[in-house]
Amino acid sequence: MLRSTIVQSDTPIYSAAWGPDSNQVLHTSGKMLIIKHLTPNSKPNKWRAHDGLILKVAWNPSNNLIISGGEDCRYRVWDIYGRQLYCSQLDDYPITSISWAPGGDLFAVGSYNTLRLCDKTGWSYSLEKPTTGSIFNITWSSDGTQVAGACGNGHVIFAHIIERRLEWKNYEVTVTGRKSISVQNVSNDAWEKLEFPDRIIKVSLGYNHLVVVTSSQCHIYTTKNWNTPVIFDLREGSVCMLLLAERHFLLVEKSSLSLYSYEGRLLCSPRWQGMQPETFNPACVSISPDTIAVRDQTDEKLVHLFELGTARSLVDAPPIRHGGGVVEIALNQAGSPGERQLVLVDKNRDMYLTNIRGSATLKRLCKLGSMIQSLCWNNDTNMLAAVQDTNLIVWYYPTVLYVDKRLVKKTVSHRDASEFGKNPVVVSFDGNHLGVRRVDGSLVTSSVSPYPSVLHGYAASSRWDDALRLCRFIKDSTLWACLAAMSTHAKDLTTAEEAYAAIDETDKVAYIQHIKANPLRTVQLAEMALLGGNIQDAESILLQNGLVFRSIFTNLHLHNWNRALELAIKHKTHVDTVLFFRKKYLETFDKPETNLQFLQFKNKVELDAEKIAHKIEMEYQKELQNG
Amino acid sequence: MADSLAKAGLYFDELSKIRVLEPEAAQETNKLKEECRDFVEKITEFQKIADGFIFMIDSLAKEVEKEKMKAIGARNLLKSVAKQREAERQQLQALISEKSMELERLRIQYQSLQRTEMEQQEKIEHLVLHR
Repeated sequence: MLRSTIVQSDTPIYSAAWGPDSNQVLHTSGKMLIIKHLTPNSKPNKWRAHDGLILKVAWNPSNNLIISGGEDCRYRVWDIYGRQLYCSQLDDYPITSISWAPGGDLFAVGSYNTLRLCDKTGWSYSLEKPTTGSIFNITWSSDGTQVAGACGNGHVIFAHIIERRLEWKNYEVTVTGRKSISVQNVSNDAWEKLEFPDRIIKVSLGYNHLVVVTSSQCHIYTTKNWNTPVIFDLREGSVCMLLLAERHFLLVEKSSLSLYSYEGRLLCSPRWQGMQPETFNPACVSISPDTIAVRDQTDEKLVHLFELGTARSLVDAPPIRHGGGVVEIALNQAGSPGERQLVLVDKNRDMYLTNIRGSATLKRLCKLGSMIQSLCWNNDTNMLAAVQDTNLIVWYYPTVLYVDKRLVKKTVSHRDASEFGKNPVVVSFDGNHLGVRRVDGSLVTSSVSPYPSVLHGYAASSRWDDALRLCRFIKDSTLWACLAAMSTHAKDLTTAEEAYAAIDETDKVAYIQHIKANPLRTVQLAEMALLGGNIQDAESILLQNGLVFRSIFTNLHLHNWNRALELAIKHKTHVDTVLFFRKKYLETFDKPETNLQFLQFKNKVELDAEKIAHKIEMEYQKELQNG
Repeated sequence: MADSLAKAGLYFDELSKIRVLEPEAAQETNKLKEECRDFVEKITEFQKIADGFIFMIDSLAKEVEKEKMKAIGARNLLKSVAKQREAERQQLQALISEKSMELERLRIQYQSLQRTEMEQQEKIEHLVLHR
């Protein structure tokens, strides 16, 4: 039944596609592409897309990208704002059909005697020239491994994707046929041929395991033994995504997520309201050895977190909410559960870091960078690589954000990314090797300094002497800065002092010496927190240990007048001290008192400089006696 | 008596048989008859030969027609083969350009790997020299 006519135009509409949220429709109009919202009176978003008549469009729900092909013999990839992400080379014949694979990682293009398979970024994986006439329509099978095409000569063409190649360390895995895989160990040139009873749907290699999903079963091989895989039957038999982590892997099926161990045991199945695993965007799911993070599909501001308990149970951690609309998330892989961190990229391409576990200060979102195009965590150490505008950036120690914000710039390696061309994508970060995919599809390997990962190792095992020796040997300021941050984080003062000295942060060195001079451990801890700029942490440490005067005094030093006065009033001590220092401050700057709270107390309390100095002296002595 | 008989239109031939026709005329008639028969025979012969000839010519014409069609077909085929070759060439060209693009991708990857190897070599040397 016809509900309503949403578009009426004088030119024929050759093709139309639904938007991912089913609230908008994309359609062609001559050489223009138009996105029309279903809400009445909304202004359609239109742009000139091709030099010839546009014949076919497609819109993918999981990655939100648009592809179009037309009589100008080119196909193009667009984002939803109409920005062109890719334009193909001139073909010999008009593009007559174009179609996204369900997962959104591939698309197929049909033309006269031509069938092409392309990556989502536009570059072409392979080209076939079957004698079919023009291919008028292409449809993918729901598992994304086969296509069927309607041919101009009255035939239907079937095609199956093969030659998918995966690499991990010294192993190279190639899907050679519909039901066979060959594995090559590059280091000793050993070949293995694996055969399967059903069609292969997903293959994933990593963490010493190869997981192969066929249409009905899941086969798990370890790199040590290619002969006896662990096999189990799939619950639904339609796998959309396969993600590996160190001890387990995540299978995303049509209506459920399941976490399996490499022994083939089902560990748990995270679920939440309104989940539609079928249209997951790979960038919005991330797993690590102890945590799963998934962005909500209906509310793009929400990131669901699931923590894996020790008893194979699943704990729903409170979700993270970010106002900017999350488009990409990634969990770090290395380290203990307490070091688990999540980076998220929002719609403005700003990147934020947060800890999954720990205190509220650790759990807050901290901005790490802006204009981030793509990012990748290192597999072995907690280093983060990202492409930012025209730079390739590696954060050797992202935790520095919570230790000393001013060190962030110093613990980062910047490299010009112009060798990678426009819009490069970081696809892997194993050891000290970065894999960057250029927009033309070529994979460029680039190495980063190996020393930070060694330093990470020393820091993790608290071998500060070795760490210092390494830094002295390498004499690199970035490395010293990393060490400064690591040792400050671990509250190792001696190492931190030397590291800060090496990067010419004299103020920090002086402060650390000041901290070291203080005999009280709690005060030291609080001062360490202050060193990292975590004022609230410092204050709460002091208050918890009954050092009220110090917390007031800290606030005074920070010119945090209101808080100081508040504390003084609350604990009924040193109100006069606070007022005295405030007065001194105002006198120095020759300013009148404007703060209402202070005006209130101005004439009520008598201020005697000598008495106050004496009182402060008394407090310090009391501290020493107690400590 | 012979004359009177002749007047009556009766004659005797050499064999003394009575005849209505003058013997000479009869002779001539007979001769004519013979000749006519000869003539008819010859004509029949001629017709037969002519028929044969026509048949032969016809079949030849058919043959020629067939060959002609064949020639035209071959010529058309030749023309289309050129076109077909062109199409095939185009197809192969497309495949070649696809492969060359892939080659270029692999070349870039190889180059980057070589560079990485070099960097690592340098680092190893540096470490060996400065330890």
